Amino acid sequence: MGRIRQQGPQPMIRDAANAAQAAKAGPAVSVRGVDMDFGAGPLAVADAGFDLARGRFLTILGPSGSGKTTLLRMIAGFQTPTRGEIFINGEPVSKVAPHQRAIGMVFQKLALFPHLTAAQNVAFPLKMRRFDARGIPARVEQFLDLVRLGGLGGRRIHELSGGQQQRVAIARALVFQPDLLLLDEPLAALDRKLREEMQLEFRRIQRELGVTTINVTHDQREALVMSDEVIVMEAGRIQQNARPVDLYRDPANAFVANFIGVTSFLPGRVAPGGLECGGILCPGTPRQALAAGTPARGAIRAEQIRMAADGAALAGLDFRLQGQVRDAIFEGERQLYEVVLPALGGIAVQVYHHDASDFALTAPGQTVTVGWNRRDMILFPAAVP
Amino acid sequence: MNQSRAQRWVLGFFVLLALVMLSAPTVVVMGASVSAGRMIAFPPEGFSLQWYGKILAASDLRQAFGRTLVVALICTAVALPVGTLAGIALAKFRLRFAGAVQVYLLLPFTVPLIGSGIGMMLAFGKMGILGQLWPVGIACAVINLPFMIWAVTASAAALDPDLELAAANCGAGRVQTFLSVTLPAVTPGIITGSLLMFILAMNEFLVSLLLVDARIVTLPVQIYNSIRSIITPDLAAISVVFIVMAALAIALLDWLVGLDIFLKSK
Ligand SMILES: Nc1ncnc2c1ncn2[C@@H]1O[C@H](COP(=O)(O)OP(=O)(O)OP(=O)(O)O)[C@@H](O)[C@H]1O
Ligand SMILES: [Mg+2]
Repeated sequence: MGRIRQQGPQPMIRDAANAAQAAKAGPAVSVRGVDMDFGAGPLAVADAGFDLARGRFLTILGPSGSGKTTLLRMIAGFQTPTRGEIFINGEPVSKVAPHQRAIGMVFQKLALFPHLTAAQNVAFPLKMRRFDARGIPARVEQFLDLVRLGGLGGRRIHELSGGQQQRVAIARALVFQPDLLLLDEPLAALDRKLREEMQLEFRRIQRELGVTTINVTHDQREALVMSDEVIVMEAGRIQQNARPVDLYRDPANAFVANFIGVTSFLPGRVAPGGLECGGILCPGTPRQALAAGTPARGAIRAEQIRMAADGAALAGLDFRLQGQVRDAIFEGERQLYEVVLPALGGIAVQVYHHDASDFALTAPGQTVTVGWNRRDMILFPAAVP
Repeated sequence: MNQSRAQRWVLGFFVLLALVMLSAPTVVVMGASVSAGRMIAFPPEGFSLQWYGKILAASDLRQAFGRTLVVALICTAVALPVGTLAGIALAKFRLRFAGAVQVYLLLPFTVPLIGSGIGMMLAFGKMGILGQLWPVGIACAVINLPFMIWAVTASAAALDPDLELAAANCGAGRVQTFLSVTLPAVTPGIITGSLLMFILAMNEFLVSLLLVDARIVTLPVQIYNSIRSIITPDLAAISVVFIVMAALAIALLDWLVGLDIFLKSK
């Protein structure tokens, strides 16, 4: 893509990063059995644990209030876990004050210093960390170039656009070459185009510097696009920790299956070869061994259900049945259909359809045939009420 | 705006009325100060700057003015650090005595000045420090401090707490964070509050009246003493000096922090 301009490696940064990497082995960050109890209500974070290898990009994904920020702030040192321990480079950090941790952070609202210029903002961590004063201007210049703000260093923060402010915040977080970079939804406030541009920008810079990064978001697309690893959180608990592909293909539970992508659920009981739903055997595969007769839910993604006006077109599938279109949403390159299946007791499933020549199908009440393959429907034990 | 003509007329009328009522005393006193006559009068009889010449020449007035400046400076010097720290603390922390502090902040409106003045007169008398200027400055600081605290609190409350966390994240310790982030953010409030303290102390009459003796009268007290004998236009001239100083303070404020900030900081 044209936007990702090829930039020569930055020798000084590379060498320092490599030396630091060689000096330390083991995970860059370890979180062990961490709880956060604010006193009121359930735990904000409950029994969180994960390891993150050096140089990796991890995203913590979850709905609002799931404890993402709290977890990140504990790693930054702004909050102390009520239980458990966090290790950075193998050292426990619960007794280390935030300003003594070598962590760069980009805040959700950026938190740039409004009374300083862009360059002074970037120089701030170097001054506070007592870098050699003579080297600071050159270093600041180098990092402003890295985020493509060369020449704008003299501007006040309010004289910069939103995207430019983002870049100042990134430069400020990275300029002292932290062991760890934390991002708390810094892109959430941007419009979509700029957000996607900045996602690629983050990725480029992160790869260039090789800095271990933890990013927080509730945008599943951002998580899948940017990350080496994704942690899905819900109600303070880690639901799954996996590579983006595995998260998508092999969700650990119904929550993750529902949270990533557009997923329909069929209620029923486990039967040999699938799920018995409304007296019909729907082919599916349990994620873990489930005894026949166990109440279960079958999860299937909208893009894995095929749809056609003529059932014969779906002859190759493991399973087919008829339904009626209830609603159709035009999303441009694809359409999202809601199809009611009378044979399964009137359950509705959501179906992505990519064939733009089939617009006749969109009429509500239109009879269509849908179908899927056995491996595409995953069975999870039904949530105990 | 979709105001009807009648609405605009009514609004305009009241704005004009308010302006006239607010500025009338100032206009009267300014007019009286340039009178060529011997008695205070409005409209003035002719034009002359003789009364300004007279107050410049009067050594007792000059000395009283000098003493008033000293009192105002002491008051500001005391209120500045105390009010700044108290204002920041009040905005940032859930204080244990928040209720008591709120009551204190309302004191200037509830306890009549004569009450606090007599209280301080008794206390300073016990300590044997009456008859000096610095206790007057401190007294002014004590009774007007809530204004300083308000000004600072308004600025500090607008400070994003993430900014201080960001400073810590950048490697700044507590003191460095305070100096490099917190203090610059509340500077407009500090400037506003300090100028306010200075002007209030300049104008403070009642408490000064109770705390000064004949050797150290401040300007407002001096004026009061003169009024008791005869009212001549030189008093109007002195009043104009006060008005000009207040105007200078406001101009300074506008230049330093912008009046809009001042008007927003309650
Ligand atoms: N300082 C606090 N005091 C009390 N409760 C808090 C505090 N901070 C967070 N919480 C609670 O902890 C839970 C997790 O909050 P957190 O901010 O970590 O969520 P989040 O996943 O970052 O959500 P969002 O996506 O909306 O930012 C919430 O229920 C929240 O109300
Ligand atoms: Mg959050």
